Amino acid sequence: MVNDYQKEAPGLTLSTAMQEAARCLLCADAPCSKACPAGTDPARFIRSLRFQNVKGAAEVIRENNALGAVCARVCPTERYCESACPRGKIDRPIRIGDLQRYITDMEASLGMKILKPGKDTGKKVAIVGAGPAGLQAATTLRQRGVAVTIFEAKQKAGGYLTTGIPEYRLPQAIVDHEVARIVDLGVDLRCGVRVGKDVSLDQLKQDYDAVLVTVGCQAAKQLDQLANNVCTEAAISFLARVKAGQVTASDLPDHVLVIGGGDVAMDVATTLKRLGVPHVTDVAYEEFSEFRASKTELAGTRAAGVTLIDGYQPVSAHQNQVTFKHRKVAAELTIEADKIIYAVGQRADLTGLDLDLQHNERALGAAKYHTTDPQVFAAGDIVAGDQTVVFAVQKGKEAAGEICRTLLGGNDHD
Amino acid sequence: MIKKDLSVDFLGVHFENPFCLSSSPVGNCYEMCARAFDAGWGGVVFKTIGPADFKVDEVSPRFDELQKEGTPFVAFKNMEQIAEHPLAQNLADLRKLKQNYPDKVVIASIMGPTEDDWEELARLVEEAGADMIEMNLSCPQMTSHAMGADVGTNPDLCQRYCAAVKRGSKLPMMAKMTPNITTMIPVVKACLAGGADGIALINTVKSVANVDLEKKVGLPIVNGQSAVSGLSGKAVKPIALRFLQELRSAAGLEQLPVSGIGGIETWSDAAEFILLGATTLQVTTAVMQYGYRIVEDLKNGLMHYMEEQGVDHLSDLVGQATKQIVPAEQLDRNYKVYPKIDWDKCIGCGRCFISCQDGAHQALSWDDDQRRPVFDKSKCVGCQLCALVCPVHAITLGLVEMKPGREGDPATVDVASQRLPS
Ligand SMILES: Cc1cc2nc3c(=O)[nH]c(=O)nc-3n(C[C@H](O)[C@H](O)[C@H](O)COP(=O)(O)OP(=O)(O)OC[C@H]3O[C@@H](n4cnc5c(N)ncnc54)[C@H](O)[C@@H]3O)c2cc1C
Ligand SMILES: Cc1cc2nc3c(=O)[nH]c(=O)nc-3n(C[C@H](O)[C@H](O)[C@H](O)COP(=O)(O)O)c2cc1C
Ligand code: SF4
Repeated sequence: MVNDYQKEAPGLTLSTAMQEAARCLLCADAPCSKACPAGTDPARFIRSLRFQNVKGAAEVIRENNALGAVCARVCPTERYCESACPRGKIDRPIRIGDLQRYITDMEASLGMKILKPGKDTGKKVAIVGAGPAGLQAATTLRQRGVAVTIFEAKQKAGGYLTTGIPEYRLPQAIVDHEVARIVDLGVDLRCGVRVGKDVSLDQLKQDYDAVLVTVGCQAAKQLDQLANNVCTEAAISFLARVKAGQVTASDLPDHVLVIGGGDVAMDVATTLKRLGVPHVTDVAYEEFSEFRASKTELAGTRAAGVTLIDGYQPVSAHQNQVTFKHRKVAAELTIEADKIIYAVGQRADLTGLDLDLQHNERALGAAKYHTTDPQVFAAGDIVAGDQTVVFAVQKGKEAAGEICRTLLGGNDHD
Repeated sequence: MIKKDLSVDFLGVHFENPFCLSSSPVGNCYEMCARAFDAGWGGVVFKTIGPADFKVDEVSPRFDELQKEGTPFVAFKNMEQIAEHPLAQNLADLRKLKQNYPDKVVIASIMGPTEDDWEELARLVEEAGADMIEMNLSCPQMTSHAMGADVGTNPDLCQRYCAAVKRGSKLPMMAKMTPNITTMIPVVKACLAGGADGIALINTVKSVANVDLEKKVGLPIVNGQSAVSGLSGKAVKPIALRFLQELRSAAGLEQLPVSGIGGIETWSDAAEFILLGATTLQVTTAVMQYGYRIVEDLKNGLMHYMEEQGVDHLSDLVGQATKQIVPAEQLDRNYKVYPKIDWDKCIGCGRCFISCQDGAHQALSWDDDQRRPVFDKSKCVGCQLCALVCPVHAITLGLVEMKPGREGDPATVDVASQRLPS
């Protein structure tokens, strides 16, 4: 366990992928395809695979989703495509994510180059943040012949794909490959440049026809009870350090307490276990029946041996001791741990950007993806809608379409 | 999406792509053919049209299906005859199709009991605007023995009927062959002598697919009885390819224009027909099972294959595999190739052991403690049954060795294979 904590579970093989595709009922109206937030067409790519057209299947995925290989691994498919699969009425839904992974892996191993830049329009757009939303928007804009420069504060592109989601669920090599494919379309990617500090938003407005802000929710929300407590660390900070290879088993104590009941908390708890921490306790505010974490993640966390306690909220803390009370029944719990990691949500950090986001979110509505500044657009986790990779992809795609409509006029043609 | 020119010329007619519906219920009427064209098919062979006075009276139900280990439609059996719609309506449909889809290819399939009927039908479908005629000499379940597969095994009748069609119409014409025959060559030569411009193969294979064990009747049951009738679908592909190979390698028939039919479901099935000499392709069973939409992957997959092969014209691929299929006596019998087991992949199921013990030469035994096969090279004949049954493809082609006393360099032996990777 300790040595291969990073290793991704093996994917489908040709035989098992074909067997899985053969389970697909090839439904007339393909509910799975309607259930994908990014409009990927699983029914179509599974059919292509089923009829031995793996390259055609890869085209279906890639032309719709610049992060198809990422989504294959991290999409909460149980909530999206797979939840709609009529095969579930017979036994269990088709493993759509796994098939998508098989196909995109084939795409890579066959060296396919599916995406092509469009004819130059003479327009140029700056994108702030190279997370999924920014990367997809860059792709869509390049496909329509718009020049794109991405400014990314960190040294590496990917957003939470690179600094959040653990290696065992999403190998960095996959993210790097997707990014390379996008850069290959002629995107000027500038890492290590924080907009609002190293360059101003006003400067970008002067230099580009439009600016798209996709800075994500990169700051951790705090728990008042844990403020200024030296035993604590934010989940995203911990996960970023693990991904950067800065955490080794010997750095970690014997007992770590994790607070939170979402996917991020599950990632932290599972990562700790995989790193060899003997005792990991996760306390969640939600009861299992209302859990936000995906079933797959929850199951993975359980399988890793994490002690999960649901329904408790923290009421006080003294250094390495946290006291929780059950939200509904009379029960109290005090846990002493060597380290406390909190995963209670993320928020946008807009320092130096001078953007007004109400509750960190812009409502999707008539002025889709517009901000109060006509030249500045926003997408990804900082606008309303689910905060998942596939939603970020869809929002990035739509925002790019909106920018094209604004800059080039005419219809938004996909 | 990849874009490649899939167009072909066949019997002087231009097809935007080689994929056609074969004559059957999938092309029963105007509305169906129109939807097929809209879905992307290059041509349709309209459901076989008979003379006005031939009454088609069908049974119900009329289909059966062969399964293997849960896979449906391994083969498909039907008891249908020819078009149920009246002649006048069929002709009107052909006319409307050609009017509304001038760039698509409309092929009329016809069948009659007498020379006069063939001649008259040919005249009528040409008048209706068809681009081509296909003579159905091959339906195995006609209620009249003056029509169908019985005619298609009789070279003399075939020649006379072809000549009759040629008298009735100047359209390019292909004769559709029955596989219910030992060799197709005499019939094909007779058809060509009668004026056929090309050959379509195959129609369905006579069959009884299943028997109801309680009622003791073949399926489907028609009021307590059943009949021998035509089998189609994936299982007949090998039979179709065999006839295609027989014809295209026969002296004088090397350039025979062929429309390939039988079990085509995927682009790779289609490519196999093309490599053995077919120029256009026709499909029924896969469409009945999955719908017109399968043409999307037939076309896209074939484009990718062309790209991989570095060809810009499909015609460059036609017949490329014919010469590599030779009579059994010409094969190189000087070497054998041993299986190679990849122990990292082996999951210890023992299927190779069982098959070698009970179906090959007992070269694989079983180590009960290790739960893995043990190989005895001295007994192995190199049949590679083990590789075919291995569920995880852990067995591949390994060492090549000349048989004792035989000349040759093992290094130059070409054993590469898609099924059995080396
Ligand atoms: C631990 C974790 C696990 C997750 N697991 C999943 C999962 O399994 N499935 C799923 O669908 N979603 C998951 N998510 C959510 C998903 O990662 C996000 O919804 C998605 O990454 C949002 O994309 P984004 O492009 O809006 O922003 P982000 O991914 O947050 O990227 C924003 C980028 O902008 C950069 N940036 C910020 N400010 C500036 C600036 N001023 N100048 C320049 N650059 C800037 C940041 O450095 C970052 O690279 C997870 C999130 C976390 C934290
Ligand atoms: C239900 C059914 C009806 C058919 N009717 C005709 C017909 O009217 N005329 C004809 O030439 N072939 C007919 N055929 C044969 C098909 O055109 C085709 O030659 C055969 O089914 C093999 O192709 P496939 O495996 O793609 O189905 C019929 C086949 C089926 C399954
Ligand atoms: S090649 Fe044939 S004889 Fe040799 S081990 Fe395999 S099954 Fe047995």
